[in-house]
Amino acid sequence: MFDFEAALTALTDVGLTLLVLAIAVVLIEAVLYLVLVRWRKSRMALPFMLLAPGIIAILVLYGYPLLYEFNLSFTKMNIRNFVEPGLLGLTWEGTILEGTPLAAEEDIFVGLQNYIDVFTMPVLRQTSVYQLFLQTIIWTVVNVFFHVLLGIGLALLLNRKMRGRTFYRALLILPWAIPVVASLQIWRTEFNYEFGAVNQLLGLIGLGPVPWMSDPFWNFVAMILTNIWLGVPFMMVITLGGLQAISSEYYEAAEIDGATARQSFSKITLPLLRPVLIPAILLGTFLTFNNINVPFFINAQQLETSDILVSGVYRAGIQYTRFGFGAAFAFVVFGILLLFTIWYVRQTKVLKGAYAS
Amino acid sequence: MSNRLKVAALTAAFALGVGAVPALAQDDVSFELWTKEGEADGSLQWVQKLADDFMAANPNVTISVVQKEVGGSESLRQDFQLQSFAGNPPALLWTVADHIGPFTAADLLLPLDELVDNAAYVPGGVSAMQTPDGTTYGVPINVGNHLMLYYNKDMVAECPADSDALIEAAIANTDAEAGTFGLVYRQDESFWLVPFLGGFGGVVFAEDGVTPTLDTEAMASALKFMNDLEFVHGVMPVEADYQIADDLFKQGKAAMTINGDWTLGSYSELDFEIGVCPIPPMVGGENPKPYVAGNFFMVSKAVADDEALQGAVIDFIKYATSTDVQLAQLETLKRLPSNVEALSAPSITENPLLAGSAAAVQNGIPQPTNLEMRCVFDAMNVGVRANAASADADQVQLAADMQAAAEAGVAPGGECAPE
Repeated sequence: MFDFEAALTALTDVGLTLLVLAIAVVLIEAVLYLVLVRWRKSRMALPFMLLAPGIIAILVLYGYPLLYEFNLSFTKMNIRNFVEPGLLGLTWEGTILEGTPLAAEEDIFVGLQNYIDVFTMPVLRQTSVYQLFLQTIIWTVVNVFFHVLLGIGLALLLNRKMRGRTFYRALLILPWAIPVVASLQIWRTEFNYEFGAVNQLLGLIGLGPVPWMSDPFWNFVAMILTNIWLGVPFMMVITLGGLQAISSEYYEAAEIDGATARQSFSKITLPLLRPVLIPAILLGTFLTFNNINVPFFINAQQLETSDILVSGVYRAGIQYTRFGFGAAFAFVVFGILLLFTIWYVRQTKVLKGAYAS
Repeated sequence: MSNRLKVAALTAAFALGVGAVPALAQDDVSFELWTKEGEADGSLQWVQKLADDFMAANPNVTISVVQKEVGGSESLRQDFQLQSFAGNPPALLWTVADHIGPFTAADLLLPLDELVDNAAYVPGGVSAMQTPDGTTYGVPINVGNHLMLYYNKDMVAECPADSDALIEAAIANTDAEAGTFGLVYRQDESFWLVPFLGGFGGVVFAEDGVTPTLDTEAMASALKFMNDLEFVHGVMPVEADYQIADDLFKQGKAAMTINGDWTLGSYSELDFEIGVCPIPPMVGGENPKPYVAGNFFMVSKAVADDEALQGAVIDFIKYATSTDVQLAQLETLKRLPSNVEALSAPSITENPLLAGSAAAVQNGIPQPTNLEMRCVFDAMNVGVRANAASADADQVQLAADMQAAAEAGVAPGGECAPE
């Protein structure tokens, strides 16, 4: 039976939250108006006023948690030491107002020990960071390769004139439109050994059954298959947009010059898709590298051989309640992605177009 | 605001003669009750009914029942820890015994010795909620939570006498092509390993109660027995999580299942007649020894500062564990009461299913509730899953790996290290 009272309570809570946010935005804008328009008479008042709520939201929702986590990474906060870590191990909660000196209530500051442990101890029950890194590389490379390959292939097909093109486009974008959690729950069920659709379909062609959930290799394959299904529409839509921006005049000229279809693809299509594909591949790499949804749902038996770095961070920090260690581990993963980004940006000059005058 | 930021940073069959609900304090209070109970066996509905009845008798009290998982995602444990850290925990938990370890280690629970009469409850239930210094942090709702053998009497006439008879009965009822199996149980969780380990004479901890003893011949034998059921005798599905095992038995596609007493209520209402008995003794070994615990109320330390709230929470606990309510719970969920007076009722002693459950409890051993158990469960889970995944699993190596992982967890600096 529908619980109207509970629904009303929930809506009231949401409404109050939105009201508080709206009041906060009005106050911020009022202060900025008084300072920038009335007092400073700044020409930049409007841009600042438009950007201010977004900048403040980013600082609160991203900046503060990042600083908090960075501080946490130098502490041994875990279930035995479940206290407010303070700044670098110093806990002062309650002491400042009482006029007492800044003092450590409980010393949980461990310096760089968590960072050392990430590289010298198993980060999970039996798995080192090096094994997780290798699994993440394989996961990312295989996924992005198939995302790009299938995305370009399907985009080339859909870019041609054919009957039912709109229907096919809608069908292929469907994995993207379904809520990820819902589709992952369905995939997890379909990978069941005895009762899942995947093994039943394999049985029709004389293959299988495959232990998708319990065998380390096949569980990793199941994760990759699921993520390919989820990720191809993104790459296909991006590529399709790029293809439609290429003028048909290039192809007409190439045809007059006697170019083959393969030559047209390699000499016209691919080079002109590059400005679209390179940022898309970078984004796709980050999304795949940081994808916790697929390993979390498809690795239902929590096999450490199916974990990647981000699911390992979740497991180490939250599931195993090693909050300080998990924070250090998270920053190590962040460092790996940062180094990759710098290398990729330099190699591909992907930002050159954006900042060139 | 800062509390929310911290969270952002870290990331019932019912109504059977329930007695009159006492009216209590008059201050308006509201609190959340997080429960691990689910809808499938009617237990979540039972919790909600208790809350509704209590609120009807106490219009000043509002109880919001929230369902949280204890298996799989373990959202109850993890969320309670994070919410407590953020300063906004639920006031009351209805959960399993093993949470007492991490929650008391983190100092998240309210001591209850001066608020509840421990003498009203079975001693084993009370002791499961006590820390080594004798402080009580929980109230037993029911005793048990133990694994036992359920069998479909249309397929298996009587409880197998020993493990050989169990295998024989399972083989006779297995037709993998038709999708029927002789035996099913949850294959990805070490709670199901513990009885077999005990059946081969193994224990999880040494006598000191904290040193893991997993790298033993008994562990390798227990893992081998479980692996053989799946790959040598072929009487089990290759991959069965809790839901699949439960569904196969309920649908009459599995002759026997090993499951906890928490399913006795729903299984006794199936279209076929069931039998219940302890897991049969291992040939050449002993009786399998499942962990015995139960479900418990635990109170957040956060209610200590609010007298009216604390009073309402304690009054609800007393109501939910009163004799009449416990007997109604027995009727509804078929769970053995924790209330001493209710436990001696004829409705228990004269019921064959409950008598079978009580016999299974006799074979059980108390589930350790210290923090070390958490790491040992996690370590054993890795081995149990690897063992269930392959006919070629090396049980001796798996036992050694489990031990190494468990030792790392309880070693100084490990997340389950003793204080």
